[in-house]
Amino acid sequence: MRAVVAIVRGMVLELFRRKDFYVFLIFMLVLLGILSSQTFFHIEGISRYMRDFGYTLVMLFSFILAVTFTAKQVPSEIEARTIYPLLAKPISRFTFIFSKFFGGVAISVISFVLFFASFILFCLGEGQKLSPVLVAQSFFLGMLFFCMVCSMVVFFSVFMTMSANIAVSFLLYFYVINFSGPLRDAVISAKGFVAAMLGTFYYLLPHFDFFDMRIRITHAWDPLAGWVVAAITVYTAVYCLLLLYLAAMIFRRKKL
Amino acid sequence: MEEVITIRDLFHAYHAGRTEINALVDVTLDVKKGEIFGFLGPNGAGKTTTIKLMLGILSPQRGELSIFGDVPSRTATRKKIGYMPETADYYQYLTPRELLRIYGDIFGIAGKLLSKRIDDLFEMVGLSGDAGRLMKTFSKGMKQKVSFAQALVNDPDLLILDEPTGGLDPVARKNMREVIKTLRGKGKTIFFSSHELSEVELVSDRVAILDKGHVLASGELSGFLSRKGEKQTLENYFLQIIEEKK
Repeated sequence: MRAVVAIVRGMVLELFRRKDFYVFLIFMLVLLGILSSQTFFHIEGISRYMRDFGYTLVMLFSFILAVTFTAKQVPSEIEARTIYPLLAKPISRFTFIFSKFFGGVAISVISFVLFFASFILFCLGEGQKLSPVLVAQSFFLGMLFFCMVCSMVVFFSVFMTMSANIAVSFLLYFYVINFSGPLRDAVISAKGFVAAMLGTFYYLLPHFDFFDMRIRITHAWDPLAGWVVAAITVYTAVYCLLLLYLAAMIFRRKKL
Repeated sequence: MEEVITIRDLFHAYHAGRTEINALVDVTLDVKKGEIFGFLGPNGAGKTTTIKLMLGILSPQRGELSIFGDVPSRTATRKKIGYMPETADYYQYLTPRELLRIYGDIFGIAGKLLSKRIDDLFEMVGLSGDAGRLMKTFSKGMKQKVSFAQALVNDPDLLILDEPTGGLDPVARKNMREVIKTLRGKGKTIFFSSHELSEVELVSDRVAILDKGHVLASGELSGFLSRKGEKQTLENYFLQIIEEKK
């Protein structure tokens, strides 16, 4: 456990010392500021757009940071040859992979907390009313979302280059967010072999859409039922553990 | 004397496409406690492969390899080893102090003891004034010093050095030699891989010469330096033996 904490600490220190994180944070604050100035002029319905746009920015910026930081971890350790002194220490390859996952999650959650807090503060500053349960649910599901993202990126990173990993992760994210609904409809309406193929593909996909609270936040709808959140939590745990286990197995056999 | 490293008929091959390249062929070596063992060979001889096997990063395909009588992949074995790689571009956004703290934590070394050890190590390698600077600002020589310090963070019983003097200025090389000799004085075992023969000649007790995966010679350094009753340098001996085996 000490080894995991030590590696995660190194990754978090790096996040705060790189400019990328601050660029995203400042950019986010500027965009929210521009949006809030629109509400100052009392344009009808603008508060809904602000929530929609603000929430999208929070998720997108945190996602970009999560993917880019996590994707470079394993390849850069190999490229910089720091993997050798690290694995020469009493740390297994399994622990190494889990450390990189937890590091990615820590980085994503830190970014997400700051971005999400800025967004909520802007909303509250504009006098918008948001259900505390809905805010708490969005926050919790956001954290689960980043666990999913990081486990997927760590899995890809044991056999893909950094750029391929980032490209595939972005494609998967945008595909799932935009086309998961139509794919589900196709699975339901298909029959026989096609249904089996589409069904397999549908269930293998990481369902980022489960964590997407944008519509509920935008329209201030009711929060999700407790059992739905519990089911998503179990789904995340199973999916993450499976991907990390596979990543560790592949990495254990990798010739370094 | 107690054997720290025991290697018997070690074989390892790489695959480059369909071609199998023998990196090590029936390598047999013993390194005893408290000695400085020079591991020599030209580029591509198989030195780094041997070290990777000794660290448990690679697994032997054939033969036996034990460190302190145990397999190198075991955590308990690795706790006794310090390793300095030939080159490693350490985390650019960390300071050397933070790096050593992370590595020390991995070994489970507690707070104050670790702080004291880190201070002593930076003093020893001559980096005390730069321990708080980000490593992206470091020269190659400074990175080598950090690398040497990190190898010693756990106060290892066996120190494995892979081309340790590359990038170091003459003063730093001399300092490193003195540190290595001091460690030997404390009963530590040092496995020193290099192709810089003058460096090896200055510190080693015994040496082995490796070429194309084969051990060409091994034994006391003094025996190599006075071959057939005539004094010679290690470099001359090395060149002769490589030529003879061609």
